[in-house]
Amino acid sequence: MDRKSHLIDFIKNEIMHNSKANLDPDTDLLGAGILDSLGVLQLVAFIEKSFHISVPDEDVMYDNFMSINTLINYLQQYG
Amino acid sequence: MRYILPLAVTQANERNPDKEAVRYSGKSLTYAELEQRSNSLAITLLEQGLKRGERVGIYMNKSLESAIGMYGIMKAGGAYVPLDPYAPTTRTGFVINDCGIRHLVTSHARLDAVRQILAEKSCLEHLIGVSPQPDMSLNCLEWEQIYQSPHHYPGLNLTEQDLAYILYTSGSTGTPKGIMHTHRSGLSFAEWAATEFGLTPEDRLSNHAPLHFDLSTFDFFAGAIAGATTVIVPEALAKFPANMAKLIEEERITVWYSVPYALIQLTQRGSLEKRDLSTLRWILFAGEVFPTKHLRELVRMLPSVRFSNLYGPTETNVCTCYHMERLPEDSDETIPIGKPCANIEDLVVDLDDRQVAPGEVGELLIRGGVVMKGYWGQPEKTANGFYRRPALDQFEDIFYRTGDLVQMDGDGNYRYLGRKDRQIKTRGYRVELDEVEVALLAHNSVEEAAAFLVPDGQGSNLIESAVVPKIGANLSEEELIAHLSGRLPPYAIPVRIDFLTDFPRTSTGKINRRELQEKAAARQAETA
Repeated sequence: MDRKSHLIDFIKNEIMHNSKANLDPDTDLLGAGILDSLGVLQLVAFIEKSFHISVPDEDVMYDNFMSINTLINYLQQYG
Repeated sequence: MRYILPLAVTQANERNPDKEAVRYSGKSLTYAELEQRSNSLAITLLEQGLKRGERVGIYMNKSLESAIGMYGIMKAGGAYVPLDPYAPTTRTGFVINDCGIRHLVTSHARLDAVRQILAEKSCLEHLIGVSPQPDMSLNCLEWEQIYQSPHHYPGLNLTEQDLAYILYTSGSTGTPKGIMHTHRSGLSFAEWAATEFGLTPEDRLSNHAPLHFDLSTFDFFAGAIAGATTVIVPEALAKFPANMAKLIEEERITVWYSVPYALIQLTQRGSLEKRDLSTLRWILFAGEVFPTKHLRELVRMLPSVRFSNLYGPTETNVCTCYHMERLPEDSDETIPIGKPCANIEDLVVDLDDRQVAPGEVGELLIRGGVVMKGYWGQPEKTANGFYRRPALDQFEDIFYRTGDLVQMDGDGNYRYLGRKDRQIKTRGYRVELDEVEVALLAHNSVEEAAAFLVPDGQGSNLIESAVVPKIGANLSEEELIAHLSGRLPPYAIPVRIDFLTDFPRTSTGKINRRELQEKAAARQAETA
């Protein structure tokens, strides 16, 4: 599975608690109320563990975490 | 003289019309613009037939328009009711009907939610801030149309005893309750705060709290009294410590006010050492206990900043304040909630309402202008919330019962010891655990339910729960969370639901919540 599918699965199952949710990769995760501050921390922990990437604190910003697509763009620098 | 809250803006406009009043995402309103636009909104609302004391909802993300909404509603003699934009629509619909909201200040982003609210019986008639919607029978008005209304102050005969705003909070019976504040209670607090923290027009205050949170009344009203600038922290950025630190630097914030949880996040993940925060002079916090371990770290990072702990339930604004001079060096004992503010009388009583001796534990009661008018539509609950102390022949002193247990230390500072009831704080949010249990029990397949608080290892607490499903019921965690999502705001939904065949019991057969809590806390400590 690619990163995008992994992220979508994680957000649906662990954050939205709804495996049948319809989650568009461009959805504003904050604006739609999907991510709160706890969710952001869960997501960072998931990325670090699953993709073996260490996300610096100063990169945990709205611009990077706004949607699944912005997150994928951000993660591209890690190859 | 100021006898109603919006006069703070009117007077700041007379003194300094070109000064920035509110900033949001790089845009701003001067005091002249805020004054004129809120006047136009007030005149529009009056033309729509708004009556004195009528409730008007504000249902949108924070923005320049939500600030115009607050002042415009109050200038028209209405009471503003901030509605949590992230609450389930059934809950928002309940609040709208509970206090009879006909006029709603909203935004296009909330229209789908408004449609869901309208699908049930609703008293809504007017939407402010959106274009006409062909599928809705409501009267819709855009801001551009509203700003064409006259700009003069409508000049109603309002008094300090008129209703100014209602803040809804978790209710132990399963539905939210509305805390009514008058112009007097709002002003009593805001004027005290503007003086206590020496606010001037040069100050730039953060607004981190949502509008339905009482902390926001400091950011806006104390700020306007001083003629200062209030910088709104957009909801989305408030979830990211790095964004908050950037905003403090770029917006040259001088006074920051938030719950401790936001400050702990800022300390741990805000990369503060990389920011120039030299404009920051005072950090205020309230809402829950700030663990000393984390506070010490923040003080170390910001050595030139002053720190103050403000205390008070939403019902009383702020009643005690602790200006921190130093932290305990070797112990993690929490800091006190401080001394009573100059404008209140404090009283500590035992279970029989007898005053206890200084240094003894008791419930804190509060009297003064800062105290709320009561709970909307709940005269009995309001009556139970107050203690009437016989005073002079013809008078009674009326105290609000905070439900908080306190003890005065040797320096005359109060220390907070806990609650008399099951009200809790999770990351600054106030929740009645009874409301969470009522929501769990409302599911057809749940026989018994318990909700309890567990430390989160981050300096705050999270709600966990356990349920015993009905015999033969096929209930999944996902289904139960979906059910809760329709009833509770996101922060009140338990982060964990255990399914049990029976609960541990006390000797009298009641659910042993303490045992559940202790097991969960032990598990959390192991994984942390």
